[in-house]
Amino acid sequence: MQNASENQPVISARGVVKRYGRALALAGLDAEIGPGITGLLGSNGAGKTTFISLALGLRSRNEGELLVLGRDPATAGIEVRSRIGYSPEHHDLPAELTATDFVRHLAEMHLLPRRAAVQRANDALWLVGLGEERFRPVGNMSTGQRQRVKLAAAIAHDPELVLLDEPTDGLDPMQRTEMLALIRRIGTEFGMNIVLSSHHLEEAERICDAVVIVEGGEVVRAGTLADLRRGPEGIVVEVDERADEVASILVARGIDVTQEAGVLLLAATDDAYDAVRDAVAELEVGLRRLEPRGRTLEDVYLGVGA
Amino acid sequence: MSTGQDARLYDLGYRSYDGPRERPARAIPALAEFTARRVLGLGRGGRHKVLPAVTLVIAYLPALFSVAYAVFARNILPGDLVSYGDYMFFIGSALALFAALVAPEALCPDRRTGLLGLYLAGPLDRTRYLVAKGAGVLGAMLLITLGPLLFMLLAFVLAGLGPSVSATPKLLLRIFAVGLVTALLYASLSLAVSSFTSRRAVAAVGVVLVLFVPALVVRPAIESAGAPNALDLFSSPFVVANLAYRIFGETQENHQPVTHLSTGLVVAGVAAAIALGALVCWLRYRRLEAFR
Repeated sequence: MQNASENQPVISARGVVKRYGRALALAGLDAEIGPGITGLLGSNGAGKTTFISLALGLRSRNEGELLVLGRDPATAGIEVRSRIGYSPEHHDLPAELTATDFVRHLAEMHLLPRRAAVQRANDALWLVGLGEERFRPVGNMSTGQRQRVKLAAAIAHDPELVLLDEPTDGLDPMQRTEMLALIRRIGTEFGMNIVLSSHHLEEAERICDAVVIVEGGEVVRAGTLADLRRGPEGIVVEVDERADEVASILVARGIDVTQEAGVLLLAATDDAYDAVRDAVAELEVGLRRLEPRGRTLEDVYLGVGA
Repeated sequence: MSTGQDARLYDLGYRSYDGPRERPARAIPALAEFTARRVLGLGRGGRHKVLPAVTLVIAYLPALFSVAYAVFARNILPGDLVSYGDYMFFIGSALALFAALVAPEALCPDRRTGLLGLYLAGPLDRTRYLVAKGAGVLGAMLLITLGPLLFMLLAFVLAGLGPSVSATPKLLLRIFAVGLVTALLYASLSLAVSSFTSRRAVAAVGVVLVLFVPALVVRPAIESAGAPNALDLFSSPFVVANLAYRIFGETQENHQPVTHLSTGLVVAGVAAAIALGALVCWLRYRRLEAFR
C-alpha cells in the first residue's frame, strides 16, 4: 500500500460548492479529514453523499478546492480512485455472482493482477467473517452479509483511503456492533484511512478518531473526538436525594457549586472528589454519578454546552 | 515430514498488499472479458446460458448442415454450397435475437444493481467503461458473425471444396471485414437502446423496434409516397446483409430493396448507423446518474 504521509490530511476541502440546478447541495464546505478513522456525520440530505461523490471525482464541483490523497479528483480522477476503496449505501449487488467472484472482480477492476485478486478476495472475505460463505451467491445473502461483502470489496485491493457510506444500514444491534468493530480493526490494524459516512452519532462516537459534522452543505463542527467532547472544566455530581444539602456542604468547603436540573456542577479543585465523597458519606445518600464534565457527540451535534 | 526447521506459515490471512499493480488501462480488457463472459452466460447459472446457447445454435446449425452436406453428398459443385453472403443473410434472425435478448445483459444490470457506480468509483471513467462494455459485446457477437464463416471456410478447405490457396487470404480478409462490420452494427444498436433502460425486457423490445420498424415504415413511404430510395438505409439489418454480399463479391438474389443503392451509399449508411449508435450510448451515459 502506498501510504499517505503521516499526519497529512487525506481529504482537504476549501470552499467547496456544489449545485444541482438551483438547489445548493454543498455551500462552501471546508474540511480537513484524516488520517485515521473519521466520521462524516449529518442528517439525511446534509450533503454527505454529494461530498463523497466529489471526493471520488464522479461529480464536478462548482467552486472551491478539493484534494484527495494530495490530488484533485476532478483532474486526476482515475489515479485518485485507484487508491480508494468505496462501499456504497445501497445493498443491490449482482445477485447471481458469488461473493468471491464479486470481490475478485472489483479487486481486478482496481488494478490487482488476476492471481493476486483471487487471493486478496479470499483473504478479505475471511477477514470480514465470510470465509465459509464466500462461494454463496450474493443474492442469497442477508443484508448483514451483503454489508460485509461490500466492505470486503472496498478493502481487497488494499486502498489508502476507504469511503464507507452508511455501512451499518439495515443491520441489527449485534451486527452493527460487529461491523463497527471490524471497521475499527481495519482502520487501526491495517493502517487504512477510513471515512465513515453515517447519520448515527453513536457509531462515530464508538470507533472514530475524528468527526466532521455537515448540515445544510456546510461543516458545522469538526475535530478530533476528544477535542469535541471536551466540555467546560469541572465535575458532575448526581445524588439520589438531598442534593441541596450536599451542595451546601461542598460550598462550606469552599467549592463553587451550581445546580442544573438536580445535577451538581462543581468547579474542579484538588480536593473536590474528596469533598464529594465526604459529603455523601456524611449525609448517607447514594451517589449516582461522579465524573469530569464533558459532552456527548449528540450534545456537540445539537450545540449543547458549546 | 517437516523437520521443524523447514516449517513455514502459509496462511497469513489478510495483510497489506505490496505486490505489483496493473496500469489503469488494464481495467478495460478486464471488464471487457467479464462482460463477454456474463453476456454468454459463462460461469453463471443454467437459465443465463439458455438464450446465448439458442442464438449460437441458430447461427452455427446452417454451417454444420452445409459442411455435412458438402462432406457426405456426392458430385458437389461449388454452386451447390451455401455462399458466405447468403449465410450472413440466413443468420440474420440469430443476430437480431442476440442483439435484442442477449446483448442488453452488458449494460442494463449494471445500472439496476448499482454495479455501474462501483465501476465508476474505481479507475474507470464513463468513456472507458463504455469502451470495455462495447468490446465485451463485440467479442461475444463475433462468435456469431465470424465463427460460422471461419468454420465453413476451414471445413470447405479441408474437404477440397474451398478456394484456392492463393484466393484464401483474400476470402479470409473479406470474412473478417463482414464479421466485424456486422458485429459492430448490431452491438452498437443494441448498446444504444440498452443505454435508455435498466430493464432487459424493455431493451429487448426497443432493439426489435429499432431493427425492424424502420423497414416496415420506409418501404411503403418509398413505394407509395415517392420518398427517396436512400431511406432504405434505415433498414439496418438488410443494409448490412447487403453489404456482406458486396464485400464477398456476390449478387444478392433475394431482391432486397437496398440492392439498387450504390456501394458507397451502403457503406456510408452502415458506418453512420454504427457511429450513431455509439454516439447515442455515449451521450446517454455522459449525464447518467450513476451514483446513489
